[in-house]
Amino acid sequence: MPKQDFVIERYDPATGRNYEQQFTAEYESGQTVLDCLNDIKWTQDGTLSFRWSCRHAICGSCAMKVNGRSMLACKTQVTDIVGRGDPIRVAPMGNQKVVKDLVVDISNFLDAFERAETWLQEIPDQAPPSREYRTSKDEFDRWSHTATCIHCGACYSDCTVVATDPKFLGPAALAKAYRFVFDSRDSKKRERLEFLSEKHGIWDCTRCFMCIEACPKDVLPMDAIMELRTEAMREGITNNHGSRHSNAFRGGVRKRGRLDEATLPILSAGMRLGAIPELIGYTPGALRLLKSRKLLMAAKRHGANREGRQHIRRIFDEVEAEKARGAVDAEAFAAERSSALMAH
Amino acid sequence: MLEHGVLIVGSGLAGMRAALEVSEDPDLDVALLTKVHPLRSHSGAAQGGIAASLNNSNDEDSWELHMYDTIKGADFLADQNAAEILAREAPENIFELEHWGCAFSRLESGLIAQRRFGGHTQPRAVYAADRTGHALLTVLFEQLFRRGVKVYSEWYALDLVVRDNVCQGVVVYDILTGQIDAISAKAVLFATGGYGRAFQTTTNAAASTGDGIVMAYRAGIPLEDMEFVQFHPTGLQGSGILLSEAARGEGAHILNAEGRRFMEDYAPERMELAPRDIVARAEQTEIDEGRGVTDKKDSVFMDFSPIGEERIRYALPSVLHLARDFAGIDPLQSPVPIQPTAHYSMGGIPCDVDGMVRLKDQNDTPIVGFYVAGECSCVSVHGANRLGTNSLLEAVVFGRRAGRAIRTAMSDLAPTRIDEGDLQRAVAEVDRLLKGNGPERAGAIRQELREVMMIDCGVFRTEPQLKNCLSTLKTLQERYQRISIDDKGWQFNTDLVEAIELGHMLEYAEVIITGALAREESRGGHFRKDFPTRDDQRWHKHTLAYRTDDAPRLAYADVNMQPKYRDPFPLEERKY
Repeated sequence: MPKQDFVIERYDPATGRNYEQQFTAEYESGQTVLDCLNDIKWTQDGTLSFRWSCRHAICGSCAMKVNGRSMLACKTQVTDIVGRGDPIRVAPMGNQKVVKDLVVDISNFLDAFERAETWLQEIPDQAPPSREYRTSKDEFDRWSHTATCIHCGACYSDCTVVATDPKFLGPAALAKAYRFVFDSRDSKKRERLEFLSEKHGIWDCTRCFMCIEACPKDVLPMDAIMELRTEAMREGITNNHGSRHSNAFRGGVRKRGRLDEATLPILSAGMRLGAIPELIGYTPGALRLLKSRKLLMAAKRHGANREGRQHIRRIFDEVEAEKARGAVDAEAFAAERSSALMAH
Repeated sequence: MLEHGVLIVGSGLAGMRAALEVSEDPDLDVALLTKVHPLRSHSGAAQGGIAASLNNSNDEDSWELHMYDTIKGADFLADQNAAEILAREAPENIFELEHWGCAFSRLESGLIAQRRFGGHTQPRAVYAADRTGHALLTVLFEQLFRRGVKVYSEWYALDLVVRDNVCQGVVVYDILTGQIDAISAKAVLFATGGYGRAFQTTTNAAASTGDGIVMAYRAGIPLEDMEFVQFHPTGLQGSGILLSEAARGEGAHILNAEGRRFMEDYAPERMELAPRDIVARAEQTEIDEGRGVTDKKDSVFMDFSPIGEERIRYALPSVLHLARDFAGIDPLQSPVPIQPTAHYSMGGIPCDVDGMVRLKDQNDTPIVGFYVAGECSCVSVHGANRLGTNSLLEAVVFGRRAGRAIRTAMSDLAPTRIDEGDLQRAVAEVDRLLKGNGPERAGAIRQELREVMMIDCGVFRTEPQLKNCLSTLKTLQERYQRISIDDKGWQFNTDLVEAIELGHMLEYAEVIITGALAREESRGGHFRKDFPTRDDQRWHKHTLAYRTDDAPRLAYADVNMQPKYRDPFPLEERKY
């Protein structure tokens, strides 16, 4: 049997010691990182601690960092990740406090679901039907992929926003909120979208794709967040930085044929009294841009020419006309997504 | 010393459903204790569906047909009053879960979709693609979260305290801190799951180590029908990871080395959709007679090509991923090697149809304040063999009933008490394991146990095999007394937890073997090659195994033949 070195990041809560330890495990083709960890625990060092249970990617216990990226140890074949003699590096998930070795405290991750109230909120004062609610197959197909989340936390662990803002709801809770926003049995769509549009919500995502990469169940959290943004704006929930930014971005491109960096921060902050502190906060940056002549150059020299502007406007007109005809609708989007999923 | 009105141990479907039901009464103080976070519970691994005669895909189904299929599937060892309740209450339970937001798959009409399943004569499996357990577990956790039920997550129950047939509470261990404590409660419900981990090839999660069952056994409660273990016919070769029966429900074929659908020799009418015990034995026979596939010839092929690519992607996405990720095989391109794998525990803690634990002796003695539900219980609705989709159903139907029974009983239950002595027993055992410095390792003992159980107490059993199994087990039990563990710390000591679990496995394995050795007939999941037929004259009865200082003492109880709303189904030959 081939041998493989593992370098495991360890933490002993009794002494507070952090250290790396190297082990060697034998493996057969088809064996997973979890199999090797268990082999190490059972035959070499019983103190090595990690969570696991189902060993087939449904219980969500064994997410950890393998070679720097978060994944389920049970779903990761050794043969898929061995380099030329390089050890496989195993570490606890990120963005969460380490309890012992590869075990982390998942309470912050789970709290996000509670904050987003990710459970069905029935229509008040209305008895449910005697049988099931009718739910169209199209509706089910629209959100069912987000219901496959196993709460493993891999997306949360790799989320670049959680890393800087621990209050960010995170990809998993937002994807779960998506499902209730689009579930016709739920009565709180508007309230949900309002809450999600606040700080630490949908507009804080930086679209870095890490959650989509990390998710072992194809939930596509970032796509769900983007759809939530569109839906919130469609519902007229636009009194927030994110949607103003989105509108200003689009409006600028439409008008000038390119991104208008001079007006974007001002329009995103909004023409309102409350925006003044934010605008003042931009001043040093704006002054620096002015000083280096970047702001004026942007406005003057890099705008598209007339012909280019007209071309871009035509694209906008056509997309909007198609939207009005209903060609770019949810169903088409869902079909596109499912074909993307298959390719994945 | 902690105290709650109601303590529920185990957070799968049955435990959470019971907790929700108890929490309907806002005056009751209910807590849920679980050794894994509730969302990690093994109910989530159930794939294919949950049965109910909704008639959404046809109009010929009825609760009576469901009841009959269940009893026949059980090889007539199911208690008919219990099977009746299971079938009658199925639809209302499904609708309730749907109203809570469960993500069931839909028909074009918007109704809940249903499909065929082994042993069921009608398409009555309600499903959420092929992750039905996950969908149900999630919705129950959402509701539990919403109602703010207290959860002791990653706490391990060590000991059940029963005094004079009255349950007092549970001794518990906080895995995070290593602190041992006791929780006294007027009512305790165990929903601690099954015991499949004693077998080498199994679909069961690491957590399915029969903890609750052994705690009850050690507290003087007999275990019922433990020899009945279901081997699922479609485990991935090697790992035993489950490929859902939904694959066969959707039309997959099973082929031997000759490329033949050999089920025509064993169950010509139902073919691949015969009950699990029959398909598993057919596979094992083909393998034993040299018609197995792959280099090892230890498996047969499941062929997905009759289903069609589009339908596979839509209805069996998990199966597709499991075969790719855990066997490296693409079912769209080639057949997948499968083999029988230990899956479900029909036996467990005896109880009545309201989950109250009863000794099933002459007086049907109850254990006051002690309830059970789900796989750790033996109501018995599954008898000698469970039909697919009936386990999720059992968990919610009887979890709900037990919760209701507890709610009603609470005002009559007296306060309970756990003594220092009760606590000290558990402390001493943990101490023994922590301080042990013998030469034996838990990992090696567990491995040998699982191998011998699979070979000698598996799909086919004989007297010499079972005797060998028992003597090996005795040696392993002795060796267990001389183990030492590496981790001597208090915090998150999984080395210790695994050692305690091994102690449980060694204890219940003896009950399985003893029951199997005594039962000289073949029925459902228990097949004796030396007694290959069912013997109703001698064996139409439940096994009850009591713990003694020596070998388990066996007693027997009648099968209930008194359903409430119709005549009993008479015993008949079980053919498919």
